Amino acid sequence: MGKLKREILSVIDLEIGFVSRGRKRTVLTSPLNATASSGEFIAVIGHNGVGKSTLLRTITGLQSLLGGNVFIKGKNIEDYSRTDIARNVGYISTEPVSVGNMTVYDLVALGRYPHTNWIGKINDDDHNTILSSIVKVGMTDFNGKYINELSDGEKQRAMIARVLAQDTGLLIMDEPTAFLDISNKFEIVHLMHTLTRERGKTVIFSTHDLQTAINTADKIWLVLENGIIEGAPEDLILNDSFDSLFSDSRLKFNKSEGSFVINKDNRKSIRIDGDGLQRLWTEKALNRIGYDLSNTGNMVRIVSEGNVLKWELLFKDQILEFYSIYELVVWLDGQDS
Amino acid sequence: MKTYNYINGSNKDTPARVKLILFVFLSIILICFFFLDIFFGSVSIKPLEVFRILFSQSDSTFGTIIMKFRIPKAFTALLVGVALSISGLQMQTVFRNPMAGPYVLGISSGASLGVAIIILGFSSFISPFNIDALGNWVLVFAAWIGAGIVMTLMMIITVRVKDIMTVLILGIMLASGISAIVSIMQYFSSETMLKAYVIWTMGSLGNLTVKQLQILFISVSIGLVINVLSVKMLNALLLGENYAQSIGLDVKTSRVLIFISTSILAGSVTAFCGPIGFVGIAVPHIARIMFKTSNHNVLIPATILLGGTIMLASDIISQMPGSDNVLPINSITSLIGIPVVIWVIIRNKSFNRVF
Repeated sequence: MGKLKREILSVIDLEIGFVSRGRKRTVLTSPLNATASSGEFIAVIGHNGVGKSTLLRTITGLQSLLGGNVFIKGKNIEDYSRTDIARNVGYISTEPVSVGNMTVYDLVALGRYPHTNWIGKINDDDHNTILSSIVKVGMTDFNGKYINELSDGEKQRAMIARVLAQDTGLLIMDEPTAFLDISNKFEIVHLMHTLTRERGKTVIFSTHDLQTAINTADKIWLVLENGIIEGAPEDLILNDSFDSLFSDSRLKFNKSEGSFVINKDNRKSIRIDGDGLQRLWTEKALNRIGYDLSNTGNMVRIVSEGNVLKWELLFKDQILEFYSIYELVVWLDGQDS
Repeated sequence: MKTYNYINGSNKDTPARVKLILFVFLSIILICFFFLDIFFGSVSIKPLEVFRILFSQSDSTFGTIIMKFRIPKAFTALLVGVALSISGLQMQTVFRNPMAGPYVLGISSGASLGVAIIILGFSSFISPFNIDALGNWVLVFAAWIGAGIVMTLMMIITVRVKDIMTVLILGIMLASGISAIVSIMQYFSSETMLKAYVIWTMGSLGNLTVKQLQILFISVSIGLVINVLSVKMLNALLLGENYAQSIGLDVKTSRVLIFISTSILAGSVTAFCGPIGFVGIAVPHIARIMFKTSNHNVLIPATILLGGTIMLASDIISQMPGSDNVLPINSITSLIGIPVVIWVIIRNKSFNRVF
């Protein structure tokens, strides 16, 4: 793009937590530092209870900060009025919204709240913004439907349309895909990603799905008890940051695979004769049951005869034939025990 | 400027027109019931005679009945219906509880306690039947404060206990506790004051003096103005506290405003007419069912029209036209309101899906 990215949010020595009745301050983590620039897609990763939600709520101004500063577009969040924050930061959480007799249009129209007059009048501009927001999330046919009749995925789309209608540069989403099935999850992530690319929005979302975060995010905020580690997913992979998520030392982040693996203690070796995708997935399957590729050990040969694909295992001095990876893996696994 | 209809979210004309027709229809019904309430009463007066009295001065007995009794009573019914229904609508939204209403959550009880303290406690100075204007205002203020305190208590409970059922049960507890306090006060009060209080608790639309009607009118108007001013906030609150705040609502301010409005509306009605149940809870649901919307820009006028109409209808029924008997208004409103509430619950199969 060649455009210089503008910093939209900076979090400096932020202390998050709660103040309970007796003025007792419960600070959740060490002071946090992180930044977000315009058009970035940022995933927030961390343990349950580490304070991801509290962090996101604090950035949105829903919760007051206990120390440090949050700057939105260079201005301290505490100098913003409620309405001004709402014009700059949109928020979606896992909290289900259930309002009877409310249409998708009405829901999305509430996104215009910080822009409308005292009675909430929807003028031509607001109306167009609402309709285009609904179009953007692919809900055109659902315009007049009641939100309580929608599926979870549709409801979340409607919520995203609402936050789009709010017309903010920064979108904060607290586990927006938590309750969704796989296809809806991918669609929502794709939708959020598209918003950053095509609309220049900055999306900060928390998730437990590390794989999605690594594959799609421009940046990851890894929230730990002792602060935030931020960087491109690849940076965090290379500097072993993800390992700190686990206390079990056998759980390792496999740098070449980009995923977590359980280090089995006695790994065995095997050879594969074959190539292409078949080889790749056969190798993955064998890794899974504790085999490493090497030049010694038994040999698996992938043979394709016409339409039939089969795996030949040279085991001791016999040749065994399998017609699926499953059969092969089950047999090999059976030999171990 | 074009207005866009909220009913089906498109800018097609038909549903907007349906909505308009409904409003016109409801307005006509309201006016009809207002006149019916004047036409019917314990003493039967011929319709022609009523018209003659309405449009010309008359000193006859019938004239006195119409001008001094029936018209003020019809106005009272109208104000009471509007006030209770709007306070119910506001409470349902602010508590996010479809079963909320001034009667169910003990707001009316709170107002009663305020009134009881004035009538039974300071009875040597004021009594409800020979009070000057100051006494009336004192009564109303006491009711507002009683209502406001209970409302605040219920909000504190609601913030901690999210479960709708639990909140309702706690509301009933609170109401029972308050009536226990009132019973103790009754035990220690003089016979005349006790009688005055008991009559007051039965609820009546017909006992208001002109001065009291004026005060009721002023109070209800103030409550309605605040309600209309907070229409946008009410819409935001539908999304729940977090989302409401995230779209720019100052939740605390909005709650204070809505509490003040609700306390004034429910408190003033309770101060002058006694506790009247189930109008506040039922009418907003009828409005929602009729207009199929959650938008308060539509629900507020609809609730006002329906609330007034239903209270006028209840008043007509309570007089049992053609007979000398008058039924307690509270029983009539309960008999009308309770089936609506039951129907709403059954139709949605649970509290939580009502809105």
